[in-house]
Amino acid sequence: MSARSWVRMRRAVQAVFLLLYLILFVGANSRYPHRFGADLFTRFDPLLMITATVAGRVWVAGLWLAGLVLLLTLLFGRVWCGWLCPLGTLLEWLSPRRKTRSRRSAPPQGWRRIKYVILFFLLTAALLGSQSLIWLDPITILHRTVATAFWPALQYTVTEAERFFYQFRFLWGPLDWIHHRVLYPLFQGVQPTFSLGLVMALLFAGLVLLERWAERFWCRYLCPLGGLLGLLSKLALLRREVSEGCVECARCAQHCPTDTIDASRHYQSDPAECIVCVECLIGCRVEAVGFRWQLPRWRMAEWREYDPTRRTLLTAAGASAVGAVLLAIEPGVTQGTATLIRPPGANLVDFSARCIRCGACLRVCPTQGLQPSLWEGGVANLWTPRLVPRLGPCSFSCNACGQVCPTGAILRLSLAEKRSTAIGLARVDRDRCLPWAYGVACIVCEEVCPIAAKAIRLEELEVQTVDGETQRLQAPRVIKERCIGCGLCEYQCPVSGEAAIRVFRS
Amino acid sequence: MKESGSRLSRRQFVKFLVATGLGVPLVSCQGEEFPSSQPSPELFAGTRVAVESEEMVASPASRPSPEASPEMPGTVQPEAVASPPGGGQAYLAVARGQDPKAITRAAVAALGGMERFVRAGMDVIIKPNICVDYHSYEYAATTNPEVVAALVELCLGAGAKRVRVMDSPFAGSAESAYARSGIADAVAAAGGAMEVMNQAKFRQTEIPHGRDITRWPIYQDVLTADLVINVPIAKHHSLARLTLGGKNLLGVILNRNKIHANLGQRIADLVSAIRPTLTVVDAVRVLMANGPTGGRLDDVRVMNTVIASHDIVAADACAATLFGLTGEQISYIKAAAEMNLGTLDLSAIRIEEITVS
Repeated sequence: MSARSWVRMRRAVQAVFLLLYLILFVGANSRYPHRFGADLFTRFDPLLMITATVAGRVWVAGLWLAGLVLLLTLLFGRVWCGWLCPLGTLLEWLSPRRKTRSRRSAPPQGWRRIKYVILFFLLTAALLGSQSLIWLDPITILHRTVATAFWPALQYTVTEAERFFYQFRFLWGPLDWIHHRVLYPLFQGVQPTFSLGLVMALLFAGLVLLERWAERFWCRYLCPLGGLLGLLSKLALLRREVSEGCVECARCAQHCPTDTIDASRHYQSDPAECIVCVECLIGCRVEAVGFRWQLPRWRMAEWREYDPTRRTLLTAAGASAVGAVLLAIEPGVTQGTATLIRPPGANLVDFSARCIRCGACLRVCPTQGLQPSLWEGGVANLWTPRLVPRLGPCSFSCNACGQVCPTGAILRLSLAEKRSTAIGLARVDRDRCLPWAYGVACIVCEEVCPIAAKAIRLEELEVQTVDGETQRLQAPRVIKERCIGCGLCEYQCPVSGEAAIRVFRS
Repeated sequence: MKESGSRLSRRQFVKFLVATGLGVPLVSCQGEEFPSSQPSPELFAGTRVAVESEEMVASPASRPSPEASPEMPGTVQPEAVASPPGGGQAYLAVARGQDPKAITRAAVAALGGMERFVRAGMDVIIKPNICVDYHSYEYAATTNPEVVAALVELCLGAGAKRVRVMDSPFAGSAESAYARSGIADAVAAAGGAMEVMNQAKFRQTEIPHGRDITRWPIYQDVLTADLVINVPIAKHHSLARLTLGGKNLLGVILNRNKIHANLGQRIADLVSAIRPTLTVVDAVRVLMANGPTGGRLDDVRVMNTVIASHDIVAADACAATLFGLTGEQISYIKAAAEMNLGTLDLSAIRIEEITVS
């Protein structure tokens, strides 16, 4: 196959995998949370699988898929990064064209070590049972960004445009068709709203902006998964080689997105930095560049000056240990936070240690009650899901979050189990509640309570009207033994602003 | 590379233009007003009510037709208001029996058959009560699927062009509620179509007769369809006491919790805006307590009854008697009767009782 066909093939594979990722993303919703195995890319990710297994002290299902990627890496090098990773593909596509970038400004070589520091930091933390920084993993970055920013923004734009066109009655025929055939199947029910959508979008925008500084900036210097696969690639069987015929025209170096082709080393590259994108093949006029099997004369690739040393490992591990201790003494961790309501079943396991902050549960929650947390549970729980009942309750007939959670942080409860698993307890605020505080009739919380025998009891209350007449009213009281803390009452409470009935961690 | 300097390049200009173009419609379509809760009694001609309500009790044939009254401009009404019962047709039918489909058919037949309401080519909406996605219909929180299916078949048999069935649950997604209630399967088998309501089609709508509310976001298809059949299930509700035909209409509006502040009058106001042509109350399995959501079979009583009438007030008043109550005791039935939207005087109308064995 010619060099150009290899490049074309790689780009096609990238497109297919990004498309696959998007199809899996769109296909997973609350009704069909696990359609086609929505968490495929999470399970492909060895860093996530290793840290989840180690930190959660559990055997994560589908672990072998990550083993597949490790095996691929041992055979071919960082093909994950160059061919498969949807974040890498996206960054590559959003990167400015090579011609327009100044090559002089690239960061110093030593920066390549950062990714190993992050990697050792994460691995040590996982050993200590902490996953607080796992949100630096590329798959979780992409998934959270798409789930909490891009997709909701797209839906918002489309929905608002639709609303605009519905003003014109003569358009209703085609609009109805579009809505029921295209938009509803695509977006499903409620408009997603996420408190941290903008923050996620800005973080992603930061990665895209770094592309202007150096191509594949994230993959080169920062990505901990890239670091892990890079270390393995030092052992890979297939490596890039430059033969004697090289005329040192430097065109391959100009094509290299990770800038690992080194003129001072006769245009050889570092397998740990090479993402096997095969773009260098195009540049070579004398066909001196090639990817060749290292058997039978296999040797481990040379250790470079920017590669991690024992000192790097120890420093990162030490810092990680100190960080883990500092996070462990946060009050949010030691005491728990009253408003940090976890998805159903999460209370029954060591949630913070198992959760990989991927946002899969946020994506499928049909009410948008599950929100990523910022500081609500302390720094240790950044990006972990929490239920905000005022935005959306835990739907009584839904257990989708448990179905999609790739690491079992949210237990896979049956619907019957989920319906009897308490996640919190409702509390009536009598200073705000319409009957208690103002003598106004309202029973909405009791009406909507999904518990068969009702977890809210209505008491008879005698109040004086403005005219001094005595009037009898019904007023709500929570039955502690029955309430599961689903928050439907808080969500539906007609009192504006903060609800008059709120769910707290029990 | 940097030759263009600070001048706006064509590319930048086009980008700016596209961004502005996208932004403008987004900003301009956010101005939906919050529903007014100001009472505006001047919109309702009180004296006219009294006169007409006497007429109606005397002769149901003179059912008020708001379109014809010039003093009420801008009336929003379904285009097809059912013809009043002719000779030999009952004003209200009560059918009892083991088979929900059979008693539904019998009740409609007693009113003069579905042909009295449906003409060939009509676009029909059936509005059952599918309030939550918690339990199957046996728990009596959602309308009996067979009753709905029978109505779909009758409408299609009478020549309806299409029959859509819809509700918007207050908990759980519409799709899962449709499926769990059993109505989705029954309707599909009967040849009808379930439709998930489109949020963009809830639009602020004038309620010209409203005594308390004069505008509210209402689902537009319910107003524009040729025929709306309201199929509530009779069940317990702690504030309204009973959920019947009037209360069932809360499924076609937004902001329903704001209705509760003055439930009786506000539901009556909604009835005046929506005016279903036919109301069929499903009392096959009735939820006696812990409504409207249910979940305990102990709270369910099997009554095997269906009540049908073109008059939503009469149908609700009649259904209330199944619980040992009268229409007077249910705030929204009473308020609707006061607005001349129907009669709750069951002694003044022709009721046909049928038992299907």
